[in-house]
Amino acid sequence: MDIDRRGLLQGGLGFAAALALWPQVQAKAASPLLVRVCDQVIPRTDTPGAVDVGVPAFVELGLAHGLEGAPPGNDYLGWLEGELTRHGDDLAALDKEAFSSREPSPWKTIKALILVGYYTSEAGASQELRYELVPGRWDADIPLSPSDRAWSSDWTAVDFG
Amino acid sequence: MSTHYDAIVVGSGITGGWAAKELTEAGLKVLMIERGPAIEHGDYKRETQAPWELPFRGEGDRARYAEDYPVQKNNRHFNEWTEDHFVNDKDNPYATPQGQDFQWYRSYNLGGRSLTWGRQCYRWSDYDFGANARDGHGTDWPIRYADLAPWYDKVEDFIGVSGSAEGLPQLPDGRFQPGMTLNAVETHVREAISAQWPDRRLTIGRTANLTQAKEGRSACQYRNICARGCSYGAYFSTQSSTLPAARATGNLTLLTDSVVEGLDYDAKHKKISGVRVLDTASGKRSHYTARVVFLNAGAFNSVHLLLRSTSEHFPHGLANGSGVLGTHIMDHANTLSAIAIMPGFETHTTYGGRPTGIVIPRFRNLDKQDVPGFTRGYSYQGGALQSTWSAAKREPGLGAEYKAKFRKVGPWRMVLVTYAESLPRPENRLTLHSSKTDKYGAPVLEIAFSHGENELKALADAKEQAALMLTKAGGRVIMGFDRPGPGGTSIHEMGGARMGRDPKTSVLNKWSQAHEVANLFVTDGAQMSSSACQNPSLTYMALTARACDAAVKMLKEGRL
Repeated sequence: MDIDRRGLLQGGLGFAAALALWPQVQAKAASPLLVRVCDQVIPRTDTPGAVDVGVPAFVELGLAHGLEGAPPGNDYLGWLEGELTRHGDDLAALDKEAFSSREPSPWKTIKALILVGYYTSEAGASQELRYELVPGRWDADIPLSPSDRAWSSDWTAVDFG
Repeated sequence: MSTHYDAIVVGSGITGGWAAKELTEAGLKVLMIERGPAIEHGDYKRETQAPWELPFRGEGDRARYAEDYPVQKNNRHFNEWTEDHFVNDKDNPYATPQGQDFQWYRSYNLGGRSLTWGRQCYRWSDYDFGANARDGHGTDWPIRYADLAPWYDKVEDFIGVSGSAEGLPQLPDGRFQPGMTLNAVETHVREAISAQWPDRRLTIGRTANLTQAKEGRSACQYRNICARGCSYGAYFSTQSSTLPAARATGNLTLLTDSVVEGLDYDAKHKKISGVRVLDTASGKRSHYTARVVFLNAGAFNSVHLLLRSTSEHFPHGLANGSGVLGTHIMDHANTLSAIAIMPGFETHTTYGGRPTGIVIPRFRNLDKQDVPGFTRGYSYQGGALQSTWSAAKREPGLGAEYKAKFRKVGPWRMVLVTYAESLPRPENRLTLHSSKTDKYGAPVLEIAFSHGENELKALADAKEQAALMLTKAGGRVIMGFDRPGPGGTSIHEMGGARMGRDPKTSVLNKWSQAHEVANLFVTDGAQMSSSACQNPSLTYMALTARACDAAVKMLKEGRL
């Protein structure tokens, strides 16, 4: 597990935010496998990555409470470990295989939980993307510039996008 | 507190709030009885919380939901923010026959479903009120558009409906606040459709969200999180609109956490003599009397109450001499008819969350039966949007490049959802279950419902036409369905105490008044004799205001 306070700071969080976040990350030592996988899906770039914002713990919570279609009592992490071994530790190959079919797969659930955990975190929702609780107006047609970030608070797009 | 009132209103949702407002404003002392807890305006628990402030980030504890909310959890508006606005299914069971499903979405709280409703407001036309007479399904409505038009005016003026006048005979214009505007893609699709099909019109969804402040309510802030409750009062709910008006008269008494267990019938005077109420907090039972009773418990619960209120004179349910009580229930057949990627608008975007979509009003079978295979019609709702991070769930990829891809505003896509008219059929009906009871000992409601061939054929046509229209507008259709969701999923369940001309074949007369029980009015969805394909709440409100006016006149003239 390569995360530490310095890592949180380098992840673009302010010192206070990093300190505030640390207990959550520390509270439960997430599965090392899951930490590695979360980091591979959403790494730290110029904004924090999935591990920086505690996504591994959220994935575990989600798997335990049936989010994103996880069945009760699942051992999706055990499944993931076995599948990764079968794919020579190549997550990209496993991902490609899962998405080549329309069938559900434990990986699609785990990945969905990583995405939910990241894009609904404060950093994911409001630094990586844009979040506005009270827009206050509706502009029906304005120019989009290539550097404009997507909205995490566009609830219709979250549902139907 | 007093046990006698001029009027008792059972239920505090969209129509109960209207009945309370109209009757109190006419000077009547009114008791409004709500089975669930009070939720006061502004006291919306998680209204402003960000996803990261919630333990399950908005998705909620799905394991707990599977136990407590196995039906409600399937409602798109049910989530961690809004769960308190929905009924606990485990505590409030109902039954369906083997092999049939009915998703009954309910809100047992002050305001009922007015807190979470979709807010779409559409007038009916004479194509709708005349439909049963024209093709012989169901029984003829005893009213026509002209009877209801002034009441639509009154309701729209009070609740605030934003929309755009289009001059369409099948979807009469109302008294609108300025409509919210179409985005670039929707504007383009509107023009493309009109050019090819002059009888088809895409317009902005007519919605009970204010674009201009009125009477202590703010204009919409474009958060698009209405179902959490809106402290701005920018959409119509009992809490934001009718309840403050009723309270301002000083004539309203409100009971919450109080279930009406039955209505007592006085055979000598042919009237309801009292209402039996259980206080669910204390377990205490009380009896209230009134000169007139309005049932506004929600279509199926109003029928349930009538079925349970048996007497020597009415062994099969109150006001059920005809035997049709509980029959001919309806719910629009709905499906996602098309999703299309809409290229060419990559430099366009929007700001804010518009709390309404588009509507394409019915264009089938209007002046003539122009499509073989099905009668009546359907309309589309939906809109164009730019996808965001949730689209990543469908796509392979990992790492910095994948992350960068979903940082960008996604491609435009246009969604068309169909609502098809549901024909009134006798086999779709509500009954009391023969053995199952609820925690208060009352027999639970059994809902027997399935969509018919007519609905399936309408949805097949809707899928085909949706794809044609979006393709004509330059879109690439990626998905579309023609099978309906289970009954109930339109949340437009209605009928069961239908209005009609003949007491032998209907429960209510043209004033929403029971043919056989003069002081009983049923003014929620239960009164509907047909379903049209429009969202029904505006019509329920107009019928309620009209019935209240009639009841007050009858009281004044000593006829009740």
